[in-house]
Amino acid sequence: MMFDCPRRQPTSDRNARPAGVLALVLMLLLLAGCASAPRLDDTTRAAVAPRVLLDDVPFHGQRDYQCGPASLAMTLQHDGVETDVDALIPQVFTPGREGSVQPEMLATVRRHGRIPFVIEGRLDALLTELDAGHPVVVMQNLSLPAWPLWHYAVAIGYDLEAREMILHSGTEAQRVESFRPFDATWARSDRWAFVALSPGELPSTIAPQAALQAIGDFEAARGAEAALPAWEALASRFPDHAMAHFALGNARHAEADLEGAIGAFRDAVASDATLAPAWLNLGLALESAGRSDEALDALRRAAALPGRWQPHSREAFERLSEEARRSE
Amino acid sequence: MMKKICRFLSPLLIAALVLGSLPVAAAPSPAGGMVTTQDALAAERVQSDRERIHAVLARDDVREQLVAQGVDPAEVEARVAALSDAEAAQMAERLDQMPAGASVVGALFAVFVILLVTDILGLTNVFPFTR
Repeated sequence: MMFDCPRRQPTSDRNARPAGVLALVLMLLLLAGCASAPRLDDTTRAAVAPRVLLDDVPFHGQRDYQCGPASLAMTLQHDGVETDVDALIPQVFTPGREGSVQPEMLATVRRHGRIPFVIEGRLDALLTELDAGHPVVVMQNLSLPAWPLWHYAVAIGYDLEAREMILHSGTEAQRVESFRPFDATWARSDRWAFVALSPGELPSTIAPQAALQAIGDFEAARGAEAALPAWEALASRFPDHAMAHFALGNARHAEADLEGAIGAFRDAVASDATLAPAWLNLGLALESAGRSDEALDALRRAAALPGRWQPHSREAFERLSEEARRSE
Repeated sequence: MMKKICRFLSPLLIAALVLGSLPVAAAPSPAGGMVTTQDALAAERVQSDRERIHAVLARDDVREQLVAQGVDPAEVEARVAALSDAEAAQMAERLDQMPAGASVVGALFAVFVILLVTDILGLTNVFPFTR
């Protein structure tokens, strides 16, 4: 049993007309018929453990409307961040809204040096992350769309046989919710869910583009040094993804690892020879390493590719070939 | 009188803000002329310069809105800084309508009955005593 994020409001004791109630019940039965139980892919069923419970996720019961800060405290502490609900409330809670909004939940994770990855909104992805040992913050609308009751909870386990989720939710630790009501309430937030991971760790289910964006946003807020392990992990998870190598090259370059950066930019253009910014950065990195011939080659490639950076690349190419001519 | 002043001042303020943010938004070239990851990602999403200017203005907007919503002004700067451009734009646009965990359910009796039934059907989860 739980009390949800919001306090329950007192209800009036007026009687409703029996006919109206009947109509409502009929309508709702119809609704219930439409809402089918969530189904899992067979591949997921085969890949994950039949029962998972991350019992090392600490529990913090929420007070008043503080399910956002409480959920964050649980996931962050599980990942070794020293923080608590009281410290998180001024960072994420918005008094005027009597709640916490999704972008700020993600932003607060970044402030604590962890990367928030919004995972794909499917039960399969959720269970796969739990199986990998990652607690997942989920957003639910416990009520109907017309009278929303938004709520954050932390999924910490499941039981495939019993078709049940296990969540730290509201004031209740290890609350058990059947798949169907859980999925019905989760679906109303478009199945929004995220994991908060240390840089260097990646979600099991993330697509390369989503991971790039998540790490890129983290880097913009926390700097290249903090993001470097995440880029390393991304490039080795997706060795064919040119942008991952490109991002890694930039982070290494920012950390003054010139040779490392050159290597990563070379991997980027090997994966995708049309990635103009990678040729441009490769050329500039080679130039600062004093390897003018190779730099000229790379810049020539960059300048030949149409797009946003073509003028910039041409300029760099002309400047360097001018310098080369003069030194001859 | 006030209206007249406003009508005169607003375009000036808008112009000043837009011009003030132009150098930040339109010239993102980093040290050494390298293309940053964030710029390359933005270009992949075909983000126009106008959107970039919009993102800069959005952060100012979010700052104001958060203060208006009762957030401690000392905290606002750090909160806004941790947002991505897309998140800031999203919040600037609709902070007051965004789902916030959590709002309060209406107290109407009819709503109570509906939610009670949906709870029992397993569609919702409002009342603790339904399971």
